[in-house]
Order: sequence, then C-alpha cells, then structure tokens
Amino acid sequence: MKDIKGILLGFGIATAVIATLSFYVLNAGKIELEEIFPIGIVLILVASALYIIWDRVKNVKKGLPAQDERLKLTNYKACSYGFIASIWSAVGAPLISGILFDHELEGHYVTAVVVLCGGLAFIISYLYLAWKGE
Amino acid sequence: MKTRIKELRARYDLTQEELAKKIGVRRETILFIEKGKYNPSLKLAYDIAKALQTTIDNLFIFEDDER
Repeated sequence: MKDIKGILLGFGIATAVIATLSFYVLNAGKIELEEIFPIGIVLILVASALYIIWDRVKNVKKGLPAQDERLKLTNYKACSYGFIASIWSAVGAPLISGILFDHELEGHYVTAVVVLCGGLAFIISYLYLAWKGE
Repeated sequence: MKTRIKELRARYDLTQEELAKKIGVRRETILFIEKGKYNPSLKLAYDIAKALQTTIDNLFIFEDDER
C-alpha cells in the first residue's frame, strides 16, 4: 500500500509539473532562446522521474517491492550529490555570469539555476548508481 | 567479495526473481549481490542465508585484502 501511495504521489507531481509547464509555454507567447534550455532540463527531469515511476510499477506488478535497501541507499547518495550541486551552483552561477558575461544574475535566476542543477545532479547520479549497482 | 548465492539458487532451483520475492527485495539487488557489486546489510545477508538454508559465512567469501 505504501509503495502504491508513493507511485501515485510521484505520478501526481510529474503530471502537475507537465501541466504547469504546458500552461507556461502556451501563454508565454514567443519563447526566447534562453528559456528553451531550462524548459529542456525540466522535461529531462520529468522524463527521468516517469521512468523511475514506471520501473517501480513494473516491480510492484510482479509482487516485488518498489524500493529496497539498495535503492534507499542509492537515493540517499543521489540526494547528497544533488545537495552539493545545488550549493555549488548557488555560488558558481552568479560568479560565472559576472566573469563571462559581465552581468549580475538576478535572485530568481539564481534560484532557478540552483533547483535545475540540484535536480539534474540528483537524477543523473540516481540513474547511474541504480544502473551500476552501488 | 564473492558469494555462493548463484550456486545455492541452482541447488534449490530458484530464479533470481523467486529468491527476491522470498526475501522482499528487487531482482536487481540479488543480481548485484551475486556479481559482488553490492554489499548487503547484515539483515539482508541473514535473510538470504535463511532463504537458501545456509549460514552467512558459508554464503559470502571474503578475500583477505577486503577485510
């Protein structure tokens, strides 16, 4: 039951993100080139999350647990990598923007970079560690 | 770390999935333990040993340099 609740919650969150993104894209009018990059990252994150959910559904259907001790450990490791990436992107994004483009990055852009970098680091390390088995 | 899980599974005619179901883990976890890519917790090692009717020290073979 706990597994099914987790799967439904994950699916609900992924659907809400897709709905929000679709709403934004449909109402934004002309999308600038600089907006395509974060939208692409969000789509990669949602696609990866849906893959993880599908993998869990497949296991639950077979009567196996959605998550076991190995995947919990993988989750903790990936979370810590995501956290480290968030911290470094919070420091690095304004710095790189200032040095390379001579442009001071606004607060909401830094927040977006932190969320996207953290999410990307989490999903890449989760999929890699789950595939490698460590 | 080497294991005798595959050998004992064959003895009891169990597939990875059947063993995984018996002890409540995913099939990939059994695969990675067999390959020596994942070191299970003491509880999981005990559960596997119990399912294969053996003991932990009979199931896992440690090399001296791994200790």
